[in-house]
Amino acid sequence: MSELEALQVREEVLQAMYWMSAEGLAERPAAAELAGFLAVPAQILGPFLVRFAEEGYLEQEGGRFRLTPKGVELGKRSFADEFAELTRPTHGECDEDCWCHSSPEEAARCLEDRARAH
Amino acid sequence: MPTDPAAALPKNFLRPCLLLLLREDPAHGYDLLERVQSLGFEGSDPGGLYRALRALEKEKLVRSVWEPSQNGPDRRIYEITRAGMEELHRSAEAIAAGQDALASFLSRYQEFVALPQPSRSTTGRETASR
Repeated sequence: MSELEALQVREEVLQAMYWMSAEGLAERPAAAELAGFLAVPAQILGPFLVRFAEEGYLEQEGGRFRLTPKGVELGKRSFADEFAELTRPTHGECDEDCWCHSSPEEAARCLEDRARAH
Repeated sequence: MPTDPAAALPKNFLRPCLLLLLREDPAHGYDLLERVQSLGFEGSDPGGLYRALRALEKEKLVRSVWEPSQNGPDRRIYEITRAGMEELHRSAEAIAAGQDALASFLSRYQEFVALPQPSRSTTGRETASR
């Protein structure tokens, strides 16, 4: 596995494990469960999980994996970073999904709110 | 052999279903997993839901933010975007068009063989308005 590939897989695995844990779906998934969740073959994912455990992102116990505090932190942060552009207003004002584009009245109200906020 | 209702659903039907559920109410992943069952997805597939939500988010049809939790890790709460609403409307139009063809097929088939009446299930709104 290349280093770039390992980094990409690491982010994807940590994000998925963080999401599963936060939703109460699985705290300690087995490699096969995680592989099913990500729709990748277990034999491909397995060596990555062992590596991430060696690097301190996961704890391995009885064939199951759990995020370490370091894994929790990176999983949460990388998840947020990946979609940051989608959740952050652009140009310091409203974004393209702002309700202010629905009608002239709403646009005027949005403009007033933004003026008050500055 | 019993038939699987999910097998008869249109390809990628999960996408418009998720958009519809988020059009009704912003939701967490687990909430969506429960509510999507009322739309024909009877087996639980958290991985499929997770991958579908990520794809929708990458396409800017939904967005999510962290919601702080007192009892555990923060959770993502998802909401539909304006582009998502437009995509949902296009999907609903396509489904409506397909429905006519399916009704015609069933009507002509039942001239030969009667089919059992489908059982009524709860609607998404009933589940969502709890």
